[in-house]
Amino acid sequence: MKRIIIILFLILSNSLLAQVQFEAKVSKNSLGLNERVRIEFTMNADGDNFIPPNFEASGFRVVGGPSQSVSQSWINGRSSFNKAYSYVLIPSQKGNLTIRQASIEINGQVYKTSPIKINVTNAVEMPRDPNDTPAINADDNIYLVADVSKANPYVNEPITVIYKIYFSYNIGITNWRELSKPKYNDFWSQNIDIKQLVAEEGMFKGEKYRFVVLRKTVLYPQKSGKLEIEPLSLDIDVQVPSNRRNIWGQVLMTEDSKRVSAGSKTINVRALPEAGKPDDFSGAVGKFDFKVTPSKTTLKNGESLDLDVSIMGKGNLKLFNLPKPIVPSALEMYDPIHDENVSTPLSGMTGRITDKYTIIPQYKGSYQIKPMRFTYFDLGSSSYKTITSKEILVNVLDGPNGANSGKLNPNQPVKAKLEVSKTFAYNKQKTMLSAIEKDDFLGSNLFYTLLSLPFLAIPFFMILKKRKEAVDGDVQGNKIKLSNKLAKKYLSEAKQHIGNKEPFYIALEKAMHNFLKAKLHIETSEMSKEKITEILLTRKGNLETVTNFIAVTENCEFARYAPASEAAIQQDYDKAVVIISELEKQIK
Amino acid sequence: MKKILYIFILISQISWAQTAFEKGNQFYQKENYQAAITSYEGILNSGKQSADLYFNLGNSYYKLHKVGPAIYNFEKALLLNPTDKDILTNLDFARKMAIDDIKVIPKVGFHKLIQDVTSNYHYDTWAWITVVLAFLFLLFFMGYYFLKATLLKRIFFIGMFAVFIGMSLSIGSGIYEKNRYDNEKPAIVFSEAITVKSEPKTTSTDAFVLHEGTKVFVLESIANWKKIELTDETTGWIESSAIKELK
Repeated sequence: MKRIIIILFLILSNSLLAQVQFEAKVSKNSLGLNERVRIEFTMNADGDNFIPPNFEASGFRVVGGPSQSVSQSWINGRSSFNKAYSYVLIPSQKGNLTIRQASIEINGQVYKTSPIKINVTNAVEMPRDPNDTPAINADDNIYLVADVSKANPYVNEPITVIYKIYFSYNIGITNWRELSKPKYNDFWSQNIDIKQLVAEEGMFKGEKYRFVVLRKTVLYPQKSGKLEIEPLSLDIDVQVPSNRRNIWGQVLMTEDSKRVSAGSKTINVRALPEAGKPDDFSGAVGKFDFKVTPSKTTLKNGESLDLDVSIMGKGNLKLFNLPKPIVPSALEMYDPIHDENVSTPLSGMTGRITDKYTIIPQYKGSYQIKPMRFTYFDLGSSSYKTITSKEILVNVLDGPNGANSGKLNPNQPVKAKLEVSKTFAYNKQKTMLSAIEKDDFLGSNLFYTLLSLPFLAIPFFMILKKRKEAVDGDVQGNKIKLSNKLAKKYLSEAKQHIGNKEPFYIALEKAMHNFLKAKLHIETSEMSKEKITEILLTRKGNLETVTNFIAVTENCEFARYAPASEAAIQQDYDKAVVIISELEKQIK
Repeated sequence: MKKILYIFILISQISWAQTAFEKGNQFYQKENYQAAITSYEGILNSGKQSADLYFNLGNSYYKLHKVGPAIYNFEKALLLNPTDKDILTNLDFARKMAIDDIKVIPKVGFHKLIQDVTSNYHYDTWAWITVVLAFLFLLFFMGYYFLKATLLKRIFFIGMFAVFIGMSLSIGSGIYEKNRYDNEKPAIVFSEAITVKSEPKTTSTDAFVLHEGTKVFVLESIANWKKIELTDETTGWIESSAIKELK
């Protein structure tokens, strides 16, 4: 029975020995931030594809390893195999950290370790070899300093940040690494390359130090207010003298590493003054000169002209736009070619920026490119300054003048075409001036009067015509009218000849005859005294008047040949007038 | 006596204006454009005008590269004499000098056809044409009415109707032209550069920018703002001080 148990135990223990073991062991489970820990992954069978856990993710940094060890031993005919991967880790953060699983493939099966928890505490004072402790503390002998040239600049005023590392004569720097690069938010920055680090001597905190300029940066603040420059931190490996000496009595140096950072700096950026800020201010700050130069000003048709708009000087040259020229519509202006010739030394950008415009005139004439204004903020006098370019006159000698720009048919033979091109007309030499304040003629009373006058005249003319026709139709009446007219005519003629006997009596006689013709409708041929008397009487003429009439008529004949006095002529005339007027009344 | 005095004053005034005009031309000849402008403006201030005067004034401004006043005066001259070739040519030159090149959207349709005909003359000229035609009508009527020969009578009768139709057309043109003249309010931008707003407020959003010499048409006005339309039919509000109306 006992034997059986022993055999069983042996078999079991054998089988136990044959079991694969894969486990992780740490040297300690609790350590300070500045201490190291060793982790070992051991296995009792050979395996492949060992995958270590991700130490970085767990908060550790590998400082040593992986190192591999294999051991195989035969004890009492029994073999034991042991293989280990080991790492030396340094924690990079405090707290409860967990090292994750590692895995390995043994005999086609994957084995994993269990995760290990490690408590990382604050850095602990490490006991040191008193002989090994450095004679001086590195902390007091190495400084990183950021020099800012100006703490309260204007917006767009260049400032420089120079990072210098100061270290005393006692220590040496073997290496340095940048941990975090400074970021310059809200700044336009330009790094100035340093080709070779040169140690210089300088005073720092009242003592002589050596220093190295690590980095130079030119910054242009882009907005006002408090802006922060993020710090630069470095990991520096230093050599510090120790208390030990070699056999020749020389001080032995010990290696140490140190982290330094230049504290973050706050820069108070002033906004540009609002007072006197011109509307067309483009944001240029510095000291500039402004030039606008045309390549030529007299052009022929088809020629082009280059207009250089350039700004040279010192300031934020890359950070503002050049003013754009304004040209008449007859000049076609193309997009500019931008050219920058700017260098950035520590004092800020300097150089020249140019916009080159190509202008092609379209039409003949003389055109003016308006003066251009460029305004900048002068840091020297803290005031805005405006530079105005001169106006440019462009004279286009020939070319199409707008209306006739039709293309020639390419198939047509080219003919020398005599084209009288339109030219700018000269002043007019004569004019008819009129009052500015002029009443409209259209719609005025005069207009309506003049317009209606011809139409109103139409009925008038019609009536006139009717009348004329009526009068023309009456023959008898016309005769009477004529005689009447003649009687009157001769009577007045007689009156004129009162002093002259003969023509007087002839006229008087004619007047009498015509009177009879008009009144009695008889012809001269039928005139005799008897007939006249008879007709006059039948027409109810007064007998006395009729006899008087006859007497005057007879008297006319006598008087022509007989001497008659002036008074008698006058008497005859008066008598004739009286008789004629009386007969006029009596005769019906 | 008094009448004679008035006539004398009138004549002397006219002759003064004439000499000022000639003086201006002499200054222009000597390329003393500023003095020429002063001389011409003096005539305008005395209440006299003519197309030629505005034309010469526009030329003087053109030579001094003052686009706004040059275009303004050429347009003024064109209002008095719409068909003058010289004025049209020089206005074209002045427009080329202006900064803005605004498309002219051609008007089409019946109104355009009518306008092409009516705009050849000022509406007062149309009125005078009407009056002359009215008298011609009377003449034709008399010819028809009084003449005896049948052929002549017929000719005059037809002529009478033709003249009557012509008369109606010319009076229609005159009225149409006057309406157009009264409704159309062109103006010229005098500011070197002015932002046209989308509403009559300084705080309103910017619609576009106009430069000196651009012709606009005033549609309506509120306080010191004017609603304008460009030749490409865009509209906006502009401060009245920036433009100068032609009528």
